[in-house]
Amino acid sequence: MNNKVVAMLLAGGQGSRLKSLTYTIAKPALPFGGKYRIIDFPLSNCTNSGIETVGVLTQYQPHVLHSYIGLGTPWDLDRRNGGVTMLPPYAEIDGNKWYSGTASAVYQNITFLQSCDPEYVLILSGDHIYKMDYEVLVDYHKEQGADVTISVLEVPWEEASRFGIINVNEQMTVMEFDEKPENPKSNLASMGVYVFTWKKLKEYLEADNINEESSHDFGNDILPTMMENGEKMIAYPFKGYWKDVGTVDSFWEANMDLLDLNSGLNLHDSGWRIYSSNPQLPPQVINKTGNVQSSMVNEGCVISGEVTKSIIFQKVVIKEETVVSESVIMSGVTIHKGAKLHRVIVPPEFEVPEGFEVVDQGDKVILLTDEEVEKWKERGER
Amino acid sequence: MKLLAVVDASIKKEGLQDLTMKRTVASVPFAGRYRLIDFALSNLVNSGVSTVGVFPSYPLASLLDHIGVGKSWDLDRRKNGLYFLPVTQRDGGISSVGSFAGLEEHLQFFTKSIQPHVIVTNSFVVTQLNYKDMLEKHIISGADFTEVVSKGVQLKTYILSKELLVELIQTYAENQIVSVEDVVNLKKSPYTFNEYEYEGYFAVIDSVQSYFEASMDLLNEDKRAQLFLGNRPIFTKVKDEPPTRYVSGSHVERALIANGSTIVGSVVNSLISRGVYVKKGARVENCIIMQKSTVEENCDLSYVIADKDVYIGEGVVLHGTPDRPIVLRKGANVSKEDLR
Repeated sequence: MNNKVVAMLLAGGQGSRLKSLTYTIAKPALPFGGKYRIIDFPLSNCTNSGIETVGVLTQYQPHVLHSYIGLGTPWDLDRRNGGVTMLPPYAEIDGNKWYSGTASAVYQNITFLQSCDPEYVLILSGDHIYKMDYEVLVDYHKEQGADVTISVLEVPWEEASRFGIINVNEQMTVMEFDEKPENPKSNLASMGVYVFTWKKLKEYLEADNINEESSHDFGNDILPTMMENGEKMIAYPFKGYWKDVGTVDSFWEANMDLLDLNSGLNLHDSGWRIYSSNPQLPPQVINKTGNVQSSMVNEGCVISGEVTKSIIFQKVVIKEETVVSESVIMSGVTIHKGAKLHRVIVPPEFEVPEGFEVVDQGDKVILLTDEEVEKWKERGER
Repeated sequence: MKLLAVVDASIKKEGLQDLTMKRTVASVPFAGRYRLIDFALSNLVNSGVSTVGVFPSYPLASLLDHIGVGKSWDLDRRKNGLYFLPVTQRDGGISSVGSFAGLEEHLQFFTKSIQPHVIVTNSFVVTQLNYKDMLEKHIISGADFTEVVSKGVQLKTYILSKELLVELIQTYAENQIVSVEDVVNLKKSPYTFNEYEYEGYFAVIDSVQSYFEASMDLLNEDKRAQLFLGNRPIFTKVKDEPPTRYVSGSHVERALIANGSTIVGSVVNSLISRGVYVKKGARVENCIIMQKSTVEENCDLSYVIADKDVYIGEGVVLHGTPDRPIVLRKGANVSKEDLR
């Protein structure tokens, strides 16, 4: 890219609606799609878009993220100049400052940004699954001569009230923000992806920092203030797959989308690879009793049971006489003989006991926990 | 660690010609995602050896591409680590392990290092050897040479003192000996010889047939468990491949499959490397299909070894036998018309 772009990847979120999946790791570190973590998507998008300087802002449970990203080698971000920089909150002369909002997180790293001396700053969120060419977005921002460009996605009208909706005029100029509106006037949802002209952003971040009324958030504070002041704010219509995997259900759905060739989420597309850290494991083995249909399986697995429409992570052992369908089985899991799992998410290293079945599941997607196993045991004793 | 390692990757095996037209024996793909040399290198690293000289001969581009600076084996060290030391093989090359002429070309590797012992190993034997244990037994024995044997088979791996090795390298011409293996086999006086009995899985890969048999061994759970140990992993150059996709209607039974593949047809008793596409209606049985190869619709293959980047056109029928598997060389393009 000609004019220098720095990406600031907001990866500090907890993702509390993902329940026990994110008790000990930040949402962007959540394993996804058999061998990835959610953050692989925005990081790979950066690499594939030619963005070579990425700041990753962490706060909640950062250890896994920090060790996972390391020097950024899997994404080719281990550069002499630029590359990936981990940006956790830090202490300074005035005391410790936690990131109180998305804007405060970026503001507190203003020295980092200044040292990069960018022309444009791309704000990304570390908890969405999508493939996007940020270069096209930045080019659009430049062509429009915008101060800020918000990437938007057309969502089905009936779901529009779940999103932050952006109302635009015919020139795609943003006229209004509508956070989860009851009666949406448009179906353009904000993707949490913004491009700012750095000079403008700096100005607004500094003003926001001393504004005591502010919650220091991009969506609630920075963008509305910029609009009030008549800065040029443009919406960029993104077309393609995008999903916020904020809940157990949407996390499960996004995994299932990988198995649907028409979903628009294709990991086998060599033109837009999603990169990931790769462990040293032997190839997967499908045994004589194994039967795998419409599924994805990874290194180190040994499959001796029946697997349908499922995502199987690395080092999973599925024993004989098991039936696994529409499930997400994370790495290191062992599913013992005779267990039956339908629409179940099994967290890493979990041992599913022999003959296990979820109690009273109905149509629900179940995130397997020790309590679920207890429930099953109790029923057996009755 | 008091051990310096020599991996002799210069040896050619006539029986493996079909798989080594453009690569060394050391870089022959094995077990879906590995190269033969991975086993020697991983054993060294898992035994705590951190100074490793790899002595390859031409054509070595594929080996160099695979090993690089040794990062996958943690051998990219500021101090010690991996040394890539190609040998020119005057006189057409020596077919025994640890050729003194080859080692002589890089005498500095030995004279500049501080380790008192040297392990001389090769890249055509697949094992899970613990060199640390072997060194201890070697020192206790007091012998000049310790050789690895397993069930009466020589695994062509030796430990000797560096001092002795350097002396042998400097005097081999007048002594009429050509290699470390040669000295051990001739039981040359005045040296003393000790044997180290190895009990795990091993395979000596010196022909297409032994390659095929060793590959098929990996479909056996016991043998696989002896080779792939959780605490002594086999390291290799990692590629970033997506998960393998099993499409609805596919049939897979007793197969070892690497990542990045797509299986639509039927795969039985076979090994499938990374990025392979087995299309609809295709039958693959008792086969080895290597990286990025495509098996088109309605093919019927048994006892076939397809090297990398092989394209097998629609409806091709190829049946080898267990004793004589059919080898399709790297990059081959096979169509029904060719076979008529």
